[in-house]
Amino acid sequence: MDIFLQQLINGLTIGSLYALVALGYTMVYGVMKLINFAHGDLVAFSAYVGLTVFTQFFGSGATSFVSVIIIFIVTSIIVAFVGVLLERLAYRPLRTAPRLSAVVSALGASLVIQNGIMLIWGPNMQIFPADLLPSTTWNFGGVIISYTQFVILILSAVLMAALYIFINKTKMGTAIRASAIDQDAAKLMGINVNRVIVIIFVIGSMLGAIGGLFIGIYYRALTFDMGWLYGLNAFIAAIIGGIGSIPGAMLGGLMLGLFNALIAGYISTEWAETFTFVLLILILIVRPTGLLGEKTAEKV
Amino acid sequence: MKLGKIAGALALSTMVATTLVAAETVKIGVQAPITGKYANEGQGIANFVKLIVEEKNKAGGLLGKQIEVVTCDDEAKAQKAAICAKKLVNAGVFAVIGSYTSGATEAAQTTYYRNKVLQTSDGTSDSLIKRKYWTFFRNSFPNSAQGNFTADYFINVKKYKKIVVLSDYSSYSAGLADSTVAAIEKLGSKVTFRGKIKSGTQNFTAILTKIKALKPDVIYFSGYYTDGGLIRVQQKQLAIDADFVGGDSNHNPDFIKLAGKTAAGVDIINVPSPDDLPYDAAKKYLQAYEAKFNKKPPSIWAVVNADGLRVIMHGVEQTKSFDTKKISDYLHGMKDFPGITGPVNFRADGERIGASLLVYTIQKDGSYKVSFSK
Repeated sequence: MDIFLQQLINGLTIGSLYALVALGYTMVYGVMKLINFAHGDLVAFSAYVGLTVFTQFFGSGATSFVSVIIIFIVTSIIVAFVGVLLERLAYRPLRTAPRLSAVVSALGASLVIQNGIMLIWGPNMQIFPADLLPSTTWNFGGVIISYTQFVILILSAVLMAALYIFINKTKMGTAIRASAIDQDAAKLMGINVNRVIVIIFVIGSMLGAIGGLFIGIYYRALTFDMGWLYGLNAFIAAIIGGIGSIPGAMLGGLMLGLFNALIAGYISTEWAETFTFVLLILILIVRPTGLLGEKTAEKV
Repeated sequence: MKLGKIAGALALSTMVATTLVAAETVKIGVQAPITGKYANEGQGIANFVKLIVEEKNKAGGLLGKQIEVVTCDDEAKAQKAAICAKKLVNAGVFAVIGSYTSGATEAAQTTYYRNKVLQTSDGTSDSLIKRKYWTFFRNSFPNSAQGNFTADYFINVKKYKKIVVLSDYSSYSAGLADSTVAAIEKLGSKVTFRGKIKSGTQNFTAILTKIKALKPDVIYFSGYYTDGGLIRVQQKQLAIDADFVGGDSNHNPDFIKLAGKTAAGVDIINVPSPDDLPYDAAKKYLQAYEAKFNKKPPSIWAVVNADGLRVIMHGVEQTKSFDTKKISDYLHGMKDFPGITGPVNFRADGERIGASLLVYTIQKDGSYKVSFSK
């Protein structure tokens, strides 16, 4: 039993990270119908920015809770700025172009960010300092949860709940939902769609930045091409949950993490990925729009 | 008009001069992961080759010819390695140093053999000498030697009962794990669990939790330090009370950085590291390396490759030719060349013989201490 619960914790931790990143994909897709392939690399970028902020401000000295919060805030702001810049330079000029052109632009942006990371920080693996968060662990009858895992689980849950409330209960959230349904109609209703898109990129990038920082703090090894690994998994999570749906991205991320951990734990570690994806394909066969995706009539 | 003639004559004479200089050089290739995950190791190999070539060139070169190094970055990827092999052959090299990983070495091997180019690599995979190419010389010791040593250490010294063996999917790592498992079985014991992880996935908690239920005495990982450090951290975080023993590729400063506090107590099995080499040549070259690059070689792998280069240059000088077949025949019969990493001898299939292996235990302060040798 303790082994099963431990696998649940393992799966939920990595699943929360996927979910945080998946939100960025799903929000952009919801409003712009664009798959932002550069999002994964933005996540990798934020881990590197976090590392630099840390070494610049705090050296290798002792860390405190305050310094961690400062790193999160500064990094989120920098990454949000880059996210908005990305939208301005790579996506806005192509807003009325055919959708495929925008996808190619997104792939190009992904390569630019990835190679940018390599040029700035070098091709060698960078290592995040240890014990940015206390290395305490708690043992509940054999089930072990570390401080970092606990923070990841709680903070992701809080952020996702806050996002859900923001989208559903505020005026800006309503504007975002309206733009997702029909941009032209939203414009006619007096919604500034450009501003909505900027906000989407700010929020998506900030969530991605927090995901990237957690990846850095939890796993500690940074490589310039790590964006693909997390980006691809998060993208799949967004598709499974129903791309465009915010609760869907959260559900998809958690499910992907859980499936992977349970299959690796109980069926086969070597076939874990294969089985996970077979299961996901089955879900898509039964529900082509994803678990929580809404069926919308194609506007032809 | 006159001016034009002079200019023409000048141009002609410089052309002649450059071709003359070109004829005076001989090319040696370096195929190594200069960028990517193992950049640290690849750059170490390239640096050491540079150091030895510069020394040789200052002393008048190889048979009076200056050596020119041609470097190709294979990023430790098989596809890139195959391209590198063609590039280096086209550049006209007579010998190649590298690559770091067995996979990249194997992918390039046949191209060098077909073009009669000598190759020396630190790759430890047993499959590297399977084809018995006369062009190939392994400058490190094979997986099977390490597997036998590891099995002996586990069964006879540590008396482990429940042994977990992990590897990644690379030909080196899986090969080392398989020869270790085979050697353990030969000693009449058996392995409790043999698993594989996907290198670079970072999250190994699922397989480790599975291992936790088996209550092992030891977890042996035969892969690279980039994954090994993370496995160790996650093992401790899951409170799996087992020793951790790493194969030779975990012997890298980044392993200790990744593992942090949990590095203490880890055993690493490897050939002697640069600092522990008792040979005269070792002291001289390691000091020269530190003086030139302001740091120590990243690991033993740069050093064994340097020996590979020195042996080939020795072969050229002894046979007084650049005929690779002649050099190869000489090297196969050579006795106890005084290498930086000990006496160098080759078997007919290009295998280096006479391995000496050690167990290093990582101390609390992040230093290595030799805890077992044979």
